[in-house]
Amino acid sequence: MSEQISERSLSQQFRLGGLSIPRWLAVAVVGIVALAAGAYVARGTLEPSPVGHDAAALLGVSLPDLDGREQRLDQWRGKVLVVNFWATWCAPCREEMPQFVKTQTALGAQGLQFVGIAVDQGDKIKQFATEIGLNYPTLVGGMGAMQLSKTLGNDLMALPFTVIVGRDGRIVHTQLGPLKQAQLDSIVAKLL
Amino acid sequence: MRPDALAGVFGGLLGAVALVAVAAGVPGLTAKLLPPEQAFRFSARTLDPATVEARFDVADGYYLYRDKLRFSVEGGAPALGVATLPAGKRKHDEFFGDVETYRGLVVVRVPVVDARAGQPLVLVADSQGCADAGVCYPPNQQQVRLAMPTAGAGAGPLVEANPRKGLFN
Repeated sequence: MSEQISERSLSQQFRLGGLSIPRWLAVAVVGIVALAAGAYVARGTLEPSPVGHDAAALLGVSLPDLDGREQRLDQWRGKVLVVNFWATWCAPCREEMPQFVKTQTALGAQGLQFVGIAVDQGDKIKQFATEIGLNYPTLVGGMGAMQLSKTLGNDLMALPFTVIVGRDGRIVHTQLGPLKQAQLDSIVAKLL
Repeated sequence: MRPDALAGVFGGLLGAVALVAVAAGVPGLTAKLLPPEQAFRFSARTLDPATVEARFDVADGYYLYRDKLRFSVEGGAPALGVATLPAGKRKHDEFFGDVETYRGLVVVRVPVVDARAGQPLVLVADSQGCADAGVCYPPNQQQVRLAMPTAGAGAGPLVEANPRKGLFN
């Protein structure tokens, strides 16, 4: 079947708006398009990168805090917002959070705001929050929060996953896995 | 074949090869981390009318938590006895205290109580693990469907929970 199609399409030059295109060029273009499509398919298995897009979907989310009060993320619109998805069952999450506490202390006055979204049980979250002296809000998410993180590019729905939103409400950075202090500092410095 | 036709066919072939290579996952373009069902491959087989063998084949660079491993049967029948989990590698966790982790192949014998020959058994495994790269996966559930054997039939075939993923799925 492909033999017939190629015979038919290769047997004459392609005509485009009165222009004659050599068939080798036409087929090469098809090849390049196929390459681009292949790259798109491969990347398409991941969610499209949300970086540069408006964080409206994230900022519109409302989740309960540790006291059970609903908190909308857009209350922090206008700040440099670092949203960190975490859980106590995730050791790498717990390891990076004391850094976040220090950074919140150091840069909070300049407009940096961390918000945790915990995919976990309230008692465990409270226990760990107390242990590290958590100084920023953490909301209680459950598996629905995992789905939310997936829409933000966390295709594997693994933790930790962190989203940095600029003052203009645009997503600047997303990260699966620990965020190194130097990396966090350099991203945030440009936004404050 | 005329040279320009040859070039055209070559261009087309190059595109097709590139399409397949890129879709198959050239390193650097696709995520390096495995999805949990591939990082923690679950399979099981029947050993005899009173025992199933559950296996986790943990990919290099990944580990499972021993205390998060649970086995159950869908529908509750036949009933399972208490599985003896092998010892893991102990490590100290600042929040949870001493924990044990599994790497490589984990084999667990799970007793089955009062099973009839030919009775279907859907073995459900709950697990939770992480990658050394610094991420953890949420608690995950996998299952395999087995049929309980008659006495003396020997071990049944190993049934995988998730077949290997093909090129386009």
